[in-house]
Amino acid sequence: MDALGPALSQVLDPTLLAVIVGAALYGTLFGSIPGLSATMAVALIVPLTYFLSPLAALAAVVTLEACAISAGDIPSALVRIPGTPASAAYADDLYQLAQRGQYHRALGVSITFSAIGGLFGVAVLVLFARPFASIATWFTVAEYFWLYVLGLGCAVVVSRGSALKGAFALLLGLLFSTVGLSPVHTAARFTFGRPELYQGISFIPAMVGLFGLSEVLRNVRSPWIDAATAVRPDVVSARQSIGAVFGGALGLLVRRPWASLQASAIGTLIGILPGAGADIAAWVSYGVSKRGSKTPDEYGRGSMEGLADAGAANNSALAGAWVPALTLGIPGDSITAIVLGIMMMKNLQPGPEIFDKQGALVHSLFLVFFLANLVLLPTGYLAIRASGLLMRVPRHTLLPVVVLFCVMGSYAIGGSYFDVGLMAAMGLLGFVLERGGVPVGPVVLGIILGGPLEERFVQAMTASGGSPWVFFARPSAAVLGVAAASVWLLPAMGAWRAHRRSRRGDVV
Amino acid sequence: MTRLAALAVALALGSACAAPRRFPDAPILIVCPWAAGGGTDRVARQMAALLEQDLGVPVNVVNATGGEGVTGHSRGALARPDGYTLTLLTIEIATLHWRGMTSISPGDFAPVGLVNRDAAAIFVRADAPWRTLRDLEEAVRRAPRRLRASGTATAGIWHLALAGWLSSVGLGPTDVIWVSIAGSAPSLQELLAGGIDVVSCSLPEAQALLSAGRIRSLGVMADARVPQFPDVPTLKEQGVDWTLGTLRGLGAPKDTPPERVQLLAAAVRRVVEGDGYRSAMLQAGFTPAYEDPRRLASTLAEADRRLGGLLRSEAFRGLGARRLGPMFFPAVLLGALALVSLALVAAARRAPARDGAAPAAAPPGAGWRFAEVLVGIALYVALAETFGFVVTAGVLLLAHLVRLRTHPRVALPLVFVLVPASYHLFAVVLRVPLPRGLVGW
Repeated sequence: MDALGPALSQVLDPTLLAVIVGAALYGTLFGSIPGLSATMAVALIVPLTYFLSPLAALAAVVTLEACAISAGDIPSALVRIPGTPASAAYADDLYQLAQRGQYHRALGVSITFSAIGGLFGVAVLVLFARPFASIATWFTVAEYFWLYVLGLGCAVVVSRGSALKGAFALLLGLLFSTVGLSPVHTAARFTFGRPELYQGISFIPAMVGLFGLSEVLRNVRSPWIDAATAVRPDVVSARQSIGAVFGGALGLLVRRPWASLQASAIGTLIGILPGAGADIAAWVSYGVSKRGSKTPDEYGRGSMEGLADAGAANNSALAGAWVPALTLGIPGDSITAIVLGIMMMKNLQPGPEIFDKQGALVHSLFLVFFLANLVLLPTGYLAIRASGLLMRVPRHTLLPVVVLFCVMGSYAIGGSYFDVGLMAAMGLLGFVLERGGVPVGPVVLGIILGGPLEERFVQAMTASGGSPWVFFARPSAAVLGVAAASVWLLPAMGAWRAHRRSRRGDVV
Repeated sequence: MTRLAALAVALALGSACAAPRRFPDAPILIVCPWAAGGGTDRVARQMAALLEQDLGVPVNVVNATGGEGVTGHSRGALARPDGYTLTLLTIEIATLHWRGMTSISPGDFAPVGLVNRDAAAIFVRADAPWRTLRDLEEAVRRAPRRLRASGTATAGIWHLALAGWLSSVGLGPTDVIWVSIAGSAPSLQELLAGGIDVVSCSLPEAQALLSAGRIRSLGVMADARVPQFPDVPTLKEQGVDWTLGTLRGLGAPKDTPPERVQLLAAAVRRVVEGDGYRSAMLQAGFTPAYEDPRRLASTLAEADRRLGGLLRSEAFRGLGARRLGPMFFPAVLLGALALVSLALVAAARRAPARDGAAPAAAPPGAGWRFAEVLVGIALYVALAETFGFVVTAGVLLLAHLVRLRTHPRVALPLVFVLVPASYHLFAVVLRVPLPRGLVGW
């Protein structure tokens, strides 16, 4: 504790505080624009960190990522486009709540629980970084394979309505992920000789199309677009005080404190694993939350609980990713990969000794972590208030602007017109799927996880010389395998039993 | 009305950019064929920041990833040859076409300058029994096809490096099983987890784990020891005549006007030889290096010849042969999808429209509005590269707004403010490039 004094004085340096505030605003802006990911935001500030002190450089990254991931929820609520992939799991909940006039309340819940999850992750980082870091070194490709199977299972569990339709969407997404060059085989698949298809179907344009454009397409067909009064009075309530934004969050926290802790713990653990980050953390936590909920039917239709748990998980995963990065030099996600680059540039050697050799810096960094997760409350609040004004824009004006942002967002990530076309095609697909009652979220997860899933499978089989025993050979792999299988089999068995019961009922 | 407004927009924007132009007077784009946060991306962004100071125009980086570098290299080669699009070439430009993955080769670029070279090195876990490269060699000789290695996907540059070492000591390139893991970071992690025994990748990529004492390097495939890693011996010191590594350089599309390439080459030279670049690269573990366009051209041609020979050699045939073919996974998925679809059809038959939630019939004109959204996007894709983001998006947005009966009194100011503001936000504030078009906006 005697390190706290000097650390505090370092953190209260005005330059550093200015960097934190600047990074918070930049991160909020970046996260709330669809198509721009938090990783991209961090990569963009790397040249700037050259001019900053080591602590300020890392503080900028920490604040930026926390604010970007939580601000990713804003466009979900506004126009149903997840700002970052980490928000995709509960985009429908946010949007539905906003449509029912709960825009401010829902986003208040999302940023409050982002902060709570973030603080939990930081606490783990501060207290248990050294013992927990070894988790990151246990996972071979076999364990990762099971982890991804587990994540995919969660998507089917969470899909609203029929699990069969969720599985259909998931398989569609997995199939999309096989388009392009297969890295493990170095062979092109489904490219039809077109060079643009080599890069495959990237998930950001797909996500923007499936969620955002499909919603526009549905809206332009609705009769209500022609109505003279396109502003729906129920969407916007007149005044939004701080209480209206944060009231819902406090109530939720008091009612179910353990659920938030559980969600944060899941998020942190997944964050520590190098092969999985904030997006998968949100999916898994959302699935767990739904399974444990008393009102599982609300999930996907506007569940405050679901968005609180998933929102806490994705932010806690961010801090979790720093655990192996600081103590082992293994990046926990794509952002900490960039962080390691910055640390090298600043002559900071990651490793167990960093806590001794760079004690002052590490302690200050931990304080910055706490600060970053607190500063996202006021910046988030401002962003919610400012973006809330957009809820008053009449639909016939908003929809074309949403199309514009879909186009910009899908182009921005890789500067490719193909991605814009892909976004449009995915918008059409999303429209068709949702008319048939098929959820679009699992499609996105399938695209994200399909590549790694296949790669880990082939890699494990290559390393074992073709013996499938490799997936159960290590105790950790066997445990994960059983967990993954149960996520898939339990709901299937439940559905089968319910089906039999209902048939018996029919006969009687 | 709409057409008139569109014309007004086009004229207003066109006249603003009619003045004669010197090069460069607009943002320059560096296409990075590898993902954000990786080694190449870090070099690209460092380069961009310093080039920007030198040239006085914004220099942005876009990560055109995928296809093991095919996407980025082909995008860069096929870009408009006006000097505003550069590519951060990596050694893969000399291997991809030999592997039949693209027709793009070093000849499709006008070299601008080499900026960095990193040699391959061999890594094992800190607790591994092998102290020297000779120990590892003996282990492979005693029990071929027992040890597993990675560092990149099959036939990637680090795989070629390891296989080349094996060949040059008289072993077969397949005597170490290559597990195809895309990227050095996940490979190193797999090494630590015990899934593989050896990693071949560059020193900067392994620097964090090396300095944390988790892994050891048995040798670097360079002519001399790398200054930042004085403890890592070269292969040559250990009696093995084999060097290989990656290189990074800037290239422009091959028909770029020579005077522009020269201007850019001079700027790159000033940057690479300046202190800022040197110290940033050295601290990150990279080896800064410079070659002018002519030298870089011959370096690339030499790499192309050498790696082409390696990839076509008898020993490297069959490296890709594998038990689980590329169509295995898609076939499994298609089978599962067919099963699920059948089950869905069966379920729908059993319970036909039970809840009566059939969507209400669309009002007249809805089909048109629906199609217009998609046509608008198609028009944007077709026209944006020529007319630029602001003009194309402005006109299309205005047309769409008016079609949905937003009053022009609202629509016109909205377009005039929103479109240029978004362009400014993306391209200037957030440094995310948008289509520039011939008028430069």
